[in-house]
Amino acid sequence: MRRSKETYVATGMHALLAFALALATAPAVAGDDPPVQFNRDVRPILTETCFACHGPDAAARKADLRLDVRDEAVEMGAIEPGEPDESTLVERIFSDEKTEMMPPPKSRKHLTAEQKDTLKRWIAQGAEYQAHWSLIAPERPESPTVSDASWVRNPIDAFVMARLDKEGLKPAPEADRRTLARRLSLDLVGLPPAPAEVEAFVADESPDAYEKYVDALLRSPSWGEHRGRYWLDVARYADTHGYHFDNYREMWSYRDWVIDAFNANMPFDRFTVEQLAGDLLPNPSLSQLVASGFNRCAMSTNEGGTIAEENLVGYTRDRTETVGAVYLGLTVGCAVCHDHKFDPLPQRELYELSAFFNNTTQPAYDGNVKDSKPVVPVPRAEDAERWEALPGLIAGAQAAVDARAKEARGSFDAWLAAQTPEALAAAAPDDDLVLNVGLPQGRPAAGAPRVEHQSPAIGDFEKDQAFSYAAWIKIPAKGAEGAVLARMDDAHGYRGWDLWLTGRKVGTHIVGEWPKDALRVLTTEDVPTDVWTHVLITYDGKGKAGGVKIHVDGKPRATTVTNDSLASSIRTDVPLKVGSRQVGSKSEGVGIAEVRVYARELSDADAADLAGLGRVADLLAKPVDGRSPAEVDAAFAWWLAGRDPVARDLSARLAALKKEREDILTRGTVAYVMHEKSEEASAFLLFRGEYDQRRDPLKAATPKALPPMPDDLPRDRLGFAKWLLRPEHPLTSRVTVNRFWQQLFGEGLVRTAGDFGVSGEAPSHPELLDWLAVEFRESGWDVKRFYKLMVTSSTYRQSAATTPEKLEKDPSNRLLARGPRFRMDAEMVRDYALAASGLLVDKLGGPSVRPYQPDGVWEAVAMPESNTKSYVRDTGEGLYRRSLYTFWKRAAPPASMETFNAPSREVCTVRRERTDTPLQALVTLNDPQFVEAARVLAQRVLVEAPSFEARADALARRVLSRPFRAEETAIVRQSRDRLAAYYADHADDAERLLTVGDAPRAPGVPAAEAAAWTMVASQVLNLDEALNK
Amino acid sequence: MDPIREHELFETRRALFRRGGSVAAASGLMSLLARDGLFSTPALAGSPTGGDDRQPPVPLHFAPKAKRVVFLHMVGGPSQMDLFDYKPVMNDWYDKDLPESIRSGQRLTTMTSGQARFPIAPSKYKFAQYGQNGMWVSEMLPHTAKMVDDLCFVRSMQTEDINHEPAMSRMQTGNQLPGKPCIGSWISYGLGSMNDDLPTFVVMVARPTNREQIQAISARLWSSGFLPGEHAGVSLRSAGDPILYIQNPQGVPVGVRREMLDGLNALNELNLRQMGDPETHTRIGQYELAFRMQASVPELTNTAGEPESTYQLYGEEARKPGTFAASLLLTRRMLERGVRFVQIYHNNWDHHGNLPGRMAYQCKDVDQPCYGFIQDLKRTGMLDDTLVIWGGEFGRTIYSQGGLSHDNYGRDHHPRCFTMWMAGGGSKAGLIHGETDEFSYNVVKDPVQIRDFHATLLRLLGYDHERFTYRYQGLDQKLTSVDPAHVVKELMA
Repeated sequence: MRRSKETYVATGMHALLAFALALATAPAVAGDDPPVQFNRDVRPILTETCFACHGPDAAARKADLRLDVRDEAVEMGAIEPGEPDESTLVERIFSDEKTEMMPPPKSRKHLTAEQKDTLKRWIAQGAEYQAHWSLIAPERPESPTVSDASWVRNPIDAFVMARLDKEGLKPAPEADRRTLARRLSLDLVGLPPAPAEVEAFVADESPDAYEKYVDALLRSPSWGEHRGRYWLDVARYADTHGYHFDNYREMWSYRDWVIDAFNANMPFDRFTVEQLAGDLLPNPSLSQLVASGFNRCAMSTNEGGTIAEENLVGYTRDRTETVGAVYLGLTVGCAVCHDHKFDPLPQRELYELSAFFNNTTQPAYDGNVKDSKPVVPVPRAEDAERWEALPGLIAGAQAAVDARAKEARGSFDAWLAAQTPEALAAAAPDDDLVLNVGLPQGRPAAGAPRVEHQSPAIGDFEKDQAFSYAAWIKIPAKGAEGAVLARMDDAHGYRGWDLWLTGRKVGTHIVGEWPKDALRVLTTEDVPTDVWTHVLITYDGKGKAGGVKIHVDGKPRATTVTNDSLASSIRTDVPLKVGSRQVGSKSEGVGIAEVRVYARELSDADAADLAGLGRVADLLAKPVDGRSPAEVDAAFAWWLAGRDPVARDLSARLAALKKEREDILTRGTVAYVMHEKSEEASAFLLFRGEYDQRRDPLKAATPKALPPMPDDLPRDRLGFAKWLLRPEHPLTSRVTVNRFWQQLFGEGLVRTAGDFGVSGEAPSHPELLDWLAVEFRESGWDVKRFYKLMVTSSTYRQSAATTPEKLEKDPSNRLLARGPRFRMDAEMVRDYALAASGLLVDKLGGPSVRPYQPDGVWEAVAMPESNTKSYVRDTGEGLYRRSLYTFWKRAAPPASMETFNAPSREVCTVRRERTDTPLQALVTLNDPQFVEAARVLAQRVLVEAPSFEARADALARRVLSRPFRAEETAIVRQSRDRLAAYYADHADDAERLLTVGDAPRAPGVPAAEAAAWTMVASQVLNLDEALNK
Repeated sequence: MDPIREHELFETRRALFRRGGSVAAASGLMSLLARDGLFSTPALAGSPTGGDDRQPPVPLHFAPKAKRVVFLHMVGGPSQMDLFDYKPVMNDWYDKDLPESIRSGQRLTTMTSGQARFPIAPSKYKFAQYGQNGMWVSEMLPHTAKMVDDLCFVRSMQTEDINHEPAMSRMQTGNQLPGKPCIGSWISYGLGSMNDDLPTFVVMVARPTNREQIQAISARLWSSGFLPGEHAGVSLRSAGDPILYIQNPQGVPVGVRREMLDGLNALNELNLRQMGDPETHTRIGQYELAFRMQASVPELTNTAGEPESTYQLYGEEARKPGTFAASLLLTRRMLERGVRFVQIYHNNWDHHGNLPGRMAYQCKDVDQPCYGFIQDLKRTGMLDDTLVIWGGEFGRTIYSQGGLSHDNYGRDHHPRCFTMWMAGGGSKAGLIHGETDEFSYNVVKDPVQIRDFHATLLRLLGYDHERFTYRYQGLDQKLTSVDPAHVVKELMA
């Protein structure tokens, strides 16, 4: 909408008139007029009222006019710098014409007279724009001068006090030592301090007592658990896949990595690089691969019918939005379907950004398995060293085996040359051999000859007798049904035993009376068909299926047991038969040769010999030049394993090492890792964000409104991570320190912790935020140092007590004229009760646990096929671990914690809600976890302290980190007395209350007293003071 | 604003309610325990029909027709052509391929996209016409057929999603991606509570008789999204405690709880004086509300006093906790007590195979209870301002998934058309809105998008969907999201 010449004339006249009017009133002379600041004064107005149609979103833009870019606004004539009356913007916003006025009436937006005036004055002053504050790299500001320099412990205090001075407020006095001990402990390790710890701190008169206490807390392993817990919200870590079946996902190794990283005080830049791109580092360590699980924490699906590409687009979007919120503090998801309405993020750039996270080999379906690829094995810590060493050891052992084979080949050749059929036959195990029927012609290559044999005397075994039976068999490709060998009475409950075939599997029945009184064992895998195969079954005479082994071609095989209950005799009068049972089950079409029955349990070595000698005999029967290398090699392998002690020992060593590796894998866990595709990172622009509406192919690139990515950085996640951490990056450090601040003070300096964009809230203390951001970065991203800086400030050390004046001026404590006080997060509320009662099990890491939860929480939402359908709670220490170890099912997060605003972990959460609801009261009053904690806490004070006063005091110190005041003691005494009287009269109720929870009762404590104190302990644990930091 | 003064005023009101005076001065344990068992529930707010004169927190834009909503979500997507969308011509098309022109461009789920053919499976059920409007209803729904004049049918519902998770999310939140508030949360946010001791928005997951193909239902469907957390649905469970942790621990009768709370409140009051934090005051109030709920929720769920006639109306299944029928009976009791929004999920409508084998169970589960419920609401007069909604997240295909015989077939997901019905709350009784083609595949007249449906629902409650917004991420977020939505005036009485 270019202005026509006429419009120029018209506005010109209008301007003259306006000028005349301005002269007639008080003229606004430059200098008198307070300067208008774009970011402070103008941008909020434009954002609220104008940008939706005249902002960054090209698709929604009206009249081709954008007001967020100065040049364009000027070129269009909307703004004539210094000439408000030449500016159509001013004309339109002051217009009363329905068709002319801006914003238009149907937008339902409205400018106040003051806002109009601001815009006009801004144009009059030259219409200077500023980039949005968060897009300008922070510089370290000078500490301001303040009214009371003695209050300033570090620059944080100077910035805070400068603002208080301006608002006419004074900081609150420093909180007392006990309050500070509790606050520090809760903030740094997430647990209440032990009473003795508090007293030691109170009694410490050294000048650095406070610092020493802070340092001690920072050294505690609980520090990493507590800090890690916040990060897990950000990383959307959970123990299930999320969608559809919502099956178990085994990725707690990532959770433990986060805890360890905080405990090791890993610098935040490394912490970032390893999580965003650990897999792309040169020769990544296992730990760095585990870290790359950050990008694998996203939900995934295996729903039948979903479209692979749609799933993949969704996964990439989640990874992009997560990184956007965590590092850029931008709601990049807003640009999925269209250009961002407020922030300089065109849709195209969003997809360029997403390309960094679009280059993974993760499949579209998670397979509903716990170790959905790509994963890597993670051995237990105690196995780690051995795990590292094993590949070398295995390679060495393998080399030794191979070398021995080379060395011994001559001996084998000589041995083979010396063999005769008679010698081979004589070498077969013959102790307790009770039957040996061969075929005169051996095992011919073609056809399926069978021995026909029957013997009433042979095989009359009892169930408590060990015996073994073997045969060479040749099964047709289609498989077969029936007995190879049996002494079994079909007519009398199938009493007896057999060697039988079903399909391509071989097995045995050992039967008193079928099917109740019988063993039935068969191979899990098919046996080879159309070739002669040796089968040996051994039974140890102990009446259990576990004592039955099936060897195929000389090696024991995995078996499946379907019947495992044998009580009565297996002896029968019917004869042993080859090829069928007494009456039926003839194994048609099956070749049978060299049937042997032994009255003992043959060893694995015997099994190998029976098969191996047979193979050698076959070999001997052929002329030397008719023997295939494979046949000879197979015979050699058998010979090495059984006839060469040196090779046998070397093989045993190799097998042991391999088994060790398997064992470490089995008892270890896995890590979900990122694995980059080989091609260059790319993505498609998706029209309206729809997976099947592909537009331009795009290469990975960072948003143009942010500092450029240097050319020498690779265009992949590693390059991206390094770009985030560059000193000129305006967001990473700011967004991070803001979240850290939020953890301690309840709200960030920017309250919208995930939105530093135009529509987010402006920082309450912009200079402080910048100072902190620079300080953190320049300290080498030292996390512990940064927390220490915050908690040693006077700002942090203030009393949380407020005054009506402060509430009036600053209800939500944005100005920090008092200390932080807010309801603890869900995990802290639970951990608090566990710690105060002494129930807390102090163990770091490991698989997630299942503490108390009401029945039916999972069942109500889960699909029947889900393997997280039934919640089976733990017993023992699993009930009392810190809450960050509680199993997190995304479709039904831990019920008591969800009530306290714990997120579902479906998507990244940078800021939890903090509500106060009756359902929360029901949790801390009635959840067995909390009732048990109260009960155990009560019995502890009853056992430890002799009098009411001492008990009440112990209770207060454990829960509140301070003694009761007299008026409090009076109330507690009244409660105790009344409750004790009730429970004295109602012994049944006392007993019932005292059986809540698995923890044992203290012996010798009277039930009425224990019950009354349980309720008193619950009372104290439910205090607002106990639930608040 | 002095929180301590304010709290004292609150205490005075609370004392009236508790008829007890200040806690510290409470008169001795024996009198307290004498209350045990005699302790009476505070009077229920409002009239027996849940009427209430408090103002909605978000001012209304129109005079409301409905003030309560009951949403019966048939999870999995009921087959429209086997229940309501009668297509007799299809009998001539048995096992013939669906014409390409009808299917044109349709995005299929990967469950049938690989099928070589798309053979038409005519409904095996008999249909007949009922009511003044001559609505065709399947023989599977004899009770629903009796009340077609009370219902407002929409046979032209459309959605964009072809799989359950996104489709259910769209139906409940207006968006296929998780993270947005559901309808119930929007209503709770806008209209607020009508009672003093029960939640505003309650969710029940009914247990279907047949469970062959249950779909996942998760708490994200009743999440408050970006709205404040108190607007999330409260799950009312059929087994165990109806509301999590509502029961006192064993060995803690109500008198003991009261004693404990009296002490707790007294201690909290001291702390409030010390710290001056208004949140302490709020917490005291929430503990008291929790205490009242402990009385009101068991009273709500205890149906022992229901007369025989109730079970004649809702069916015998209403005696079994957790069934759809029992959930509807509880719904009526909740509406009477001022619950604003009740959401019931009834699962297993996902009939990819063995549709006839399973349809009988599904219909038996819901048919009579829906009929009984509507009659009950009419009887109490509540139907006038209670909007009842029945429907799934999408429909099903006319062609068979897997094997087809005259008596057995399965149907895949179908987003292009499906049938829902409404009753009461200002919806137009006896209306049959929209038409589909002879294949029940495409809408040929009056399509209704889910966002249109949402807009209409809000309109009935007194809100203009364009103006009923919540500021989040700099935008005025709406239930109807960004695409233009239209109130379907025809659906309104």
